[in-house]
Amino acid sequence: MVISVPHRKIEILVDAPLLRRLRQLASEAGVSGYTLQPTLGGDGDQGRWLDDQVTGGAGSKVVFTTIIDAAGAADLLSVLEPLLDEYGLMVTSSAVEVISARS
Amino acid sequence: MESLLSPVILFFALGALAAFARSDLAVPEPLSKALSLYLMCAIGLKGGVLVADNGFTTELFLAAAGGLALSCLIPFGAFVALRRIGKLDATNAAAVAAHYGSVSVVTFIAGNQILSDAGMAPAGYMIAVLALMETPAIIVGLFLARRNAALTFQPRQDLLRETLLNGSVVLLTGSFAIGLVVGKAGFVPIAPVFETGFTGLLCLFMLDMGLLAARRLLHARRLTLHLVLLAIVFPVINGTIGCALGAVLRLDTGTTTALGILAASASYIAVPAAMRLALPKADAGLYLAMSLAITFPFNITLGIPLYSMLAKLMV
Repeated sequence: MVISVPHRKIEILVDAPLLRRLRQLASEAGVSGYTLQPTLGGDGDQGRWLDDQVTGGAGSKVVFTTIIDAAGAADLLSVLEPLLDEYGLMVTSSAVEVISARS
Repeated sequence: MESLLSPVILFFALGALAAFARSDLAVPEPLSKALSLYLMCAIGLKGGVLVADNGFTTELFLAAAGGLALSCLIPFGAFVALRRIGKLDATNAAAVAAHYGSVSVVTFIAGNQILSDAGMAPAGYMIAVLALMETPAIIVGLFLARRNAALTFQPRQDLLRETLLNGSVVLLTGSFAIGLVVGKAGFVPIAPVFETGFTGLLCLFMLDMGLLAARRLLHARRLTLHLVLLAIVFPVINGTIGCALGAVLRLDTGTTTALGILAASASYIAVPAAMRLALPKADAGLYLAMSLAITFPFNITLGIPLYSMLAKLMV
């Protein structure tokens, strides 16, 4: 028997140098779990970017994903506000169902 | 002409040509990262060993002072040119100017190899000068941006960490210090790794740099003709000033050329990371395209022979 619980999935595309700051803010907002994923590259307003390991700092971007309840998601988005415009973070929030086994 | 036909340059050209031809040639990222760590470690060690052998000379302190002065002053001139000729806003001009005040480790390594092959090996202490020149330009760049544009959010701790504890700075200064401690006798057992394979691995790394530089150029959208010209004029002017300063300080020809190379080079490792933190509104595509896709190839192919010729004339 499984149960599904509604949650919010927050995904943030963040520049690698800013990751430490993001982790700190997420922790302050009560986020206790997250996953980091590397990126290969992409395209945007400022042209195509490549995630090369040589110029690492500027080109590298990481996807930070966390799944939390609606109140936690609101807290996280609130602490991220100063960074949204300044750093051009790409943040998406979506409704997901977390599936777990009923014990 | 001889330096243009060195394996290091030819591999760089091969990488660039492959990228321009849209070949699927690629150096795996972890290998590329490992190669850059190896090269920085090897060059730092060798510099430290040479200084351990020769001691702390007056020339070392003079070159260090000269390098520091160049790193602090170059961004001011570059900033004015970028504002007036490049038509960049203050934030972008400050970010790009910081790149030109700082240095490119890979340009220095390639130059060092070419000069050594030509019997003009620079003094080992130039590694220390290289490390010293990495960060002051970042501070000057931020000063220029703060004076000329409104800045808001500043994660100071992160910026300080990124500036002073950047991986390349730590590895270069750390391996230089290890070289100083172990000296020639301690280097002999590890020389097969850090000396024998050096040129071959540098060739492989330059292949990747050729690919990277050319792909950056292909993807650069905001580069104007003025900015392309500035990315070529900056190294010529800065390199000439570096060579002149080396000659005034009475450094030998190889070391004077190395100072010219350092002054002419533009960072694309330490400074971009710091600028992403401190000046996030600056266009990373722009400063990386100028420093990595134009200035770096120019210095590798034409700049190094030019600064070498200037140094021979001036010293």
